[in-house]
Amino acid sequence: MDRNQLKKWFQNPVKMAHKYSLHVVYFCTGCGIIEIPPSITARWDAERFGIIPVATPRQASLFIIAGYVSLKTLRSIIRTYEQMPEPKFTVSLGSCPINGGMYYDSYNTIKHLEKYIPVDGMIAGCMPRPEAIFVGVTHLWTLIDKDMADGYKRYRSNYSAYRANQEKILGKLEWPPLFPIHGEE
Amino acid sequence: MLKQELETTFDNITIRMEKKNQLELSITKDGIMSVLSFLKNKGYDHLHVISCVDWIDDKQLELVYILSAYMKQDVPGETEQLNILLKTRIGRDDPKYITSIALFPAAEPYEREIHEMFGVDFLGHPRLTPLLLERDYDIPPFRKDFDTKQYVDDVFGSVPSVEGEDKN
Repeated sequence: MDRNQLKKWFQNPVKMAHKYSLHVVYFCTGCGIIEIPPSITARWDAERFGIIPVATPRQASLFIIAGYVSLKTLRSIIRTYEQMPEPKFTVSLGSCPINGGMYYDSYNTIKHLEKYIPVDGMIAGCMPRPEAIFVGVTHLWTLIDKDMADGYKRYRSNYSAYRANQEKILGKLEWPPLFPIHGEE
Repeated sequence: MLKQELETTFDNITIRMEKKNQLELSITKDGIMSVLSFLKNKGYDHLHVISCVDWIDDKQLELVYILSAYMKQDVPGETEQLNILLKTRIGRDDPKYITSIALFPAAEPYEREIHEMFGVDFLGHPRLTPLLLERDYDIPPFRKDFDTKQYVDDVFGSVPSVEGEDKN
């Protein structure tokens, strides 16, 4: 353990524990998932950073969306995100979730992921190298330190707007709202 | 050998062989079923894919059936695997065609996909329900007159930004 950080550990142990044990659920939709096996296995060994892949979203705290998001996968991304316990952080990988990337004029691909679920960090590149993933994760640490990785809080407070966007693009959603929607009661 | 038999059996058939193992047949749309069953009885009983091409200037859609023998030993006298491309053209406005499930049960998903992407109605198909797409489109999205950029601007561009509201 880094001795310089002892003060932080005593001040806020829960936050430090969240920082250094990010349990990841990878959303293996697009081409970005090809960067994940080298980054979690021996070559780049993501466990040095406390990142470990888990089996289900119920155990996860970090959601990495690797690659383009089509309409059908958006549906399961929303379901996965809503199943994760708080605090939860979202990082998107590659340029496609940012603005569509090379699928900018595709009829079936989401252009801006942050309109549908909150995204804490975006790693640009097509595809980003595993080093870029670690730079993104260390940047996420500083965001958690400064309480700026508050995507799940924004999702809670702006839920009606997010839900409206999701229903606008996907039609009627078959699951009930996660939080109460303003203006309905 | 196969070429001669096809020429003697069917009218209006044009046969080209541009590559060594690729036979290209074009026929008017009334002959497809009989050519398919002829080829199936010959041993070419493996339907790889049914594809569709939109020839917007000719106002026609072209259906392409790609067949081969499952193993080259199935066809007597064949020395290497022969792929057969069977092409026909149907009208582009309100396109309808008959299903080939009775001959090739594997045709079902391909015909569903062509129905979804090009709007071809396959008569006799048991379920022409959506296969891949999530939304309804006015024009089937693989047709040449489907303007993807316009569609993206209309649909995805009209979704408001949530984070923008947050800052206000």
